[in-house]
Amino acid sequence: MNAPAKQLDADTREISYSEAIREAMGLALERDERVVLMGEDIGVYGGAFQVTGDLVERFGTDRVMDTPISELGGAGVAVGAALTGLRPIFEFQFSDFAALAMEQIVNQAAKMRYMLGGEASVPVVFRMPAGSGTGAAAQHSQSFEAWFGHVPGLKVVQPSTPEDAKGLLLAALEDPDPVVMFEHKLLYKMKGHVPEGWYTTPIGKAAIRRDGKDVTIVASAIMVHRALAAAEKLAEEGIEAEVIDLRSVRPIDRDTIIGSVRKTGKLLCVYEGVRTLGVGAEISAMIAESEAFDYLDAPIQRLGGAEAPIPYNPDLEKAAVPQTPDIEVAARRLARREV
Amino acid sequence: MTDDNRPFAIRNYDPARLRDALRKMYLIRFFEEGAEDSYMRGLIHGTMHLSIGQEASAVASCMGLTDEDKITSTHRGHGHCIAKGAEVRRMFAEFFGKEEGYCHGRGGSMHIADVTRGNLGANGIVGGGLPIAVGAGLTAKRLNTGAVAICFFGDGANNEGAFHEALNMAAIWKLPVVFICENNKYGMSTSTERSTAVKNIAERAVAYAMPGHTVDGNDFSAVAETVEAAIARARAGEGPSLIENLTYRWRGHSKSDRNRYRTKQEIDEWMARDPIQRFRAELIEHGVLDESEAEKVIAEARQEVEAGIEFAKSGTAPRISDLAKYVYAEENA
Amino acid sequence: MPVEVILPKVDMDMEAGLLAQWHVSVGDKVDKGAALFDIETDKAAMEVEAPASGIVGHIVAEAGSRIPVGQVVAWIYTGNEDIPGTPPGAAFIGNGDTAETEDEGREVVDEARPVVATTGQANELVLAESSEPSRPRATPAARAFARKNGIDLGSVTGSGPNGRIQADDVSRWQGEQQTFVAEPAVAEANLATPAPTDWQEDHRPLSLTRRKGRGGGLPVLLIHGFAADAAGWVPLEKALGNEREIIRIELPCHGRSPRVRVDSFREFTRMVVKTFDDLDAERLHLVGHSLGGAVATAIADIRPRRIASLSLISPAGLGPEIDAAALYGIARASRTDSLVPWLKRLGARSDAISHDFAKAAMMSRMEPELRAAQLELAEILFPDGTQSFDLSAAMERVEAPFKIVWGRQDRILPWEHALRAPDAAGLHLLDKAGHIPHIERPEAVALPLLENFRTGEISAYQR
Repeated sequence: MNAPAKQLDADTREISYSEAIREAMGLALERDERVVLMGEDIGVYGGAFQVTGDLVERFGTDRVMDTPISELGGAGVAVGAALTGLRPIFEFQFSDFAALAMEQIVNQAAKMRYMLGGEASVPVVFRMPAGSGTGAAAQHSQSFEAWFGHVPGLKVVQPSTPEDAKGLLLAALEDPDPVVMFEHKLLYKMKGHVPEGWYTTPIGKAAIRRDGKDVTIVASAIMVHRALAAAEKLAEEGIEAEVIDLRSVRPIDRDTIIGSVRKTGKLLCVYEGVRTLGVGAEISAMIAESEAFDYLDAPIQRLGGAEAPIPYNPDLEKAAVPQTPDIEVAARRLARREV
Repeated sequence: MTDDNRPFAIRNYDPARLRDALRKMYLIRFFEEGAEDSYMRGLIHGTMHLSIGQEASAVASCMGLTDEDKITSTHRGHGHCIAKGAEVRRMFAEFFGKEEGYCHGRGGSMHIADVTRGNLGANGIVGGGLPIAVGAGLTAKRLNTGAVAICFFGDGANNEGAFHEALNMAAIWKLPVVFICENNKYGMSTSTERSTAVKNIAERAVAYAMPGHTVDGNDFSAVAETVEAAIARARAGEGPSLIENLTYRWRGHSKSDRNRYRTKQEIDEWMARDPIQRFRAELIEHGVLDESEAEKVIAEARQEVEAGIEFAKSGTAPRISDLAKYVYAEENA
Repeated sequence: MPVEVILPKVDMDMEAGLLAQWHVSVGDKVDKGAALFDIETDKAAMEVEAPASGIVGHIVAEAGSRIPVGQVVAWIYTGNEDIPGTPPGAAFIGNGDTAETEDEGREVVDEARPVVATTGQANELVLAESSEPSRPRATPAARAFARKNGIDLGSVTGSGPNGRIQADDVSRWQGEQQTFVAEPAVAEANLATPAPTDWQEDHRPLSLTRRKGRGGGLPVLLIHGFAADAAGWVPLEKALGNEREIIRIELPCHGRSPRVRVDSFREFTRMVVKTFDDLDAERLHLVGHSLGGAVATAIADIRPRRIASLSLISPAGLGPEIDAAALYGIARASRTDSLVPWLKRLGARSDAISHDFAKAAMMSRMEPELRAAQLELAEILFPDGTQSFDLSAAMERVEAPFKIVWGRQDRILPWEHALRAPDAAGLHLLDKAGHIPHIERPEAVALPLLENFRTGEISAYQR
């Protein structure tokens, strides 16, 4: 925590979330011949969000492969390649397009090890630019993490910081099973300290981003930052919110969340995916079923995406997913025993 | 060589390999009959899709493969599995849901696989194996292993999007993949005439700039010749091919098929073109073996199947507490 | 060698099938593939074909019987062998006397009794539940705390929304109880000498509890009467609906508010005004009962611009008469038995006060310091059994919409005091109501109150 400034400079620099992901992929391509990147327009174009950037110039088109616009086939090729010895990282241009490839992700990648009695391994990584806020409307703004979180055999991660984006991607690459990584599009430009070199962020481990005693806010992806902003405002009123960055949707970090709720007695789940049957529903149920139940001192609250497709109009779009003031109000009501 | 009019298989394979090919065809036939019998006795649950009548396609297509080469298979995949070298006793154990099975009882008939022999598994999703085979071809090319991937699929799969996406990608990247469509005329109950715009599925190859061949799938030698050429082309880095083996399944689609969409006459006509009898006659005609040797092959195959069923019956049932084993690598132990 | 004909599995999940009809008889010659019999499953009927050509030697299953998958139903003799008189192995399967049918029959008999028993139990359970009083609203944490400490939640007053008991309500209650239990001598002493004893003053602000409203109306501030507390408003709150926010204030020396010494009604009121001034609501409706009615009138007089409407229920301050004996009796009572006779004077009918109500009332008055402080307060406010303060002049000055509700059978403060109310006050006299109409007839009280609120909101808007 209190590392000398000099050492900090040496170990970390400020780079963006997308640069951190690119750095992770570059390290992986350098270190392991088996790593290939696949996706639509990830070569000379640099990726729809410029995440792969110049990697094609460094590693060539054999290793940074532009695929045709064939999500199902492309994902399936990645699955087959992983099954036979490569370590593919497959980028969906938008996570929404993964709907075209559900067959290969859900029926093939996720189940292969199990169906074959442990005799096969599918170490593939699916990268999914997700989330709203870019004015891209209903088919380019969704948050599908709960869909994939519902599938045994997949692991699902949702980094909220540049450091975790790199660490989770490298952890996903090292993992012998398929990992789906949701990258929030609004975070791509966010800068933060990122250590140099190869390191991994453990999959299935949440992070406590802010300590507090009055209310627990479990948030994921961009909602972590909104929750932190809300928590700062609440602190001015003497309400101390604990903010947990979920980081992994599957497996979910039970211990950290349960431990926090035992302390605060109040839980607010904040997530961008549609509220009903979403990640927060799972967390709420998990708490209600756990030993933390007896520590609950207010009804569990959820803030999630509206029961509607993501709209185009910017005001409607904002209203469709939780914003900082929404979190502030909900957490305040919880802390002040108004619910 | 030019005046050698004997069939391709007789010319190119030594008698031991030909005899083994016949043995495998009988093994497939008896294995499936044994599985069917066990199913009807309630010893096997779920369902199964029998390939009886399609044995030449499976065995001849795998003649040019080593254990390094990969295949992807279909829900009608027992024949491919045996052709690629699997042991019937472990297949039976799988069907009986036992730990000794290839998938430790987790996959059953529809996911039968033998990864060590390069069989990446049968697939319950029509068209599911197509992109996976292309991925296997990509691995072979990237890692320069010299291996090829053979992708078996049925006529039904040729109307799936995955078929078109997979063929296109294999072609643009010139991957060592041989796509083998076992056209048995019906996707469940719907005939290719009613479901497919082209007369021959091999015509689809034109759209993906690869060679396409339609072959009599019940003619062992014809299948072997066409597939061997495609494998050679793939290994030479010239890219994929599409081969269509015309064949017929004697049984229904699955065990719950009431056979309402085809006539008894049609079935009888195809049964008269039994690929095993044809191959056996061909081997006898060309002096590879005689009747008594053929009977010996049959007896061996029967014996192996019977022993396999006994092996499976006495297998170990998985522990209920191991239900979630194999979901993730961490849980493999 | 004879070939066995079995009942085949023809469907997923099929364990047995109905052999519907035989197409052949014993002695018939059949070709392989010929139809032998029909089977019916849950989903379909289908023909079963002969597995071999030959003579049907034995049929060992009768049409109409249910047969497990894999069971032999007939034998076909393929060679020239003699057909023996009895089939190899398997016994005949008929309609009435088979093992299968017996098994099923036994199953039904075995299951019949437990099923009836279960139904009976379920009914009893429902009856038992419906005769039980409703469980108090409490959070899991509050329940866990109560469970661990052997506390009956029914005796704890909740401060959360809709009176929900939260963890700190229980711990506070426990703290109060421990004081009481730890010092039985003090309690005894109180009983023997009901005069004020020494107790510590505390200077926390007055206790406020709030319930958010769902609509757009102005908040309602409720001020309870002498020896009552915020919990007494629950029936009226229900009747008022959830349109408006409800704020309940507890008077000094009452409920969770601090025990303080005052020397006059003026000082007592000043404390309430201090809390009133801290409320974030700009304008609100004031509702006061009895002593709280007098306090509400005083507030309306001091802070007229913040009052949207004034509603008084059986208010004090309109005359000297008061049933002081009842007030002292209630303030002094340290057990339910001594509380009940005085409480009965509150209602129009003495049976309006149930033993449970009295018990609950006593539960909230278990703290000796509370009782002592209230007795001392009674001495200041009602010396010699007389109301020492007169609010009639203040009432004359009220500008906001103003209503007074009184029970015709009030035995604590006579309703005739209402006749001294000013011209502008609307008067609602309720029959079948005593001193606590908001508990006896909450709907009847809510009606004029809601009307008063609406008038107040319209006139506030016009201003």
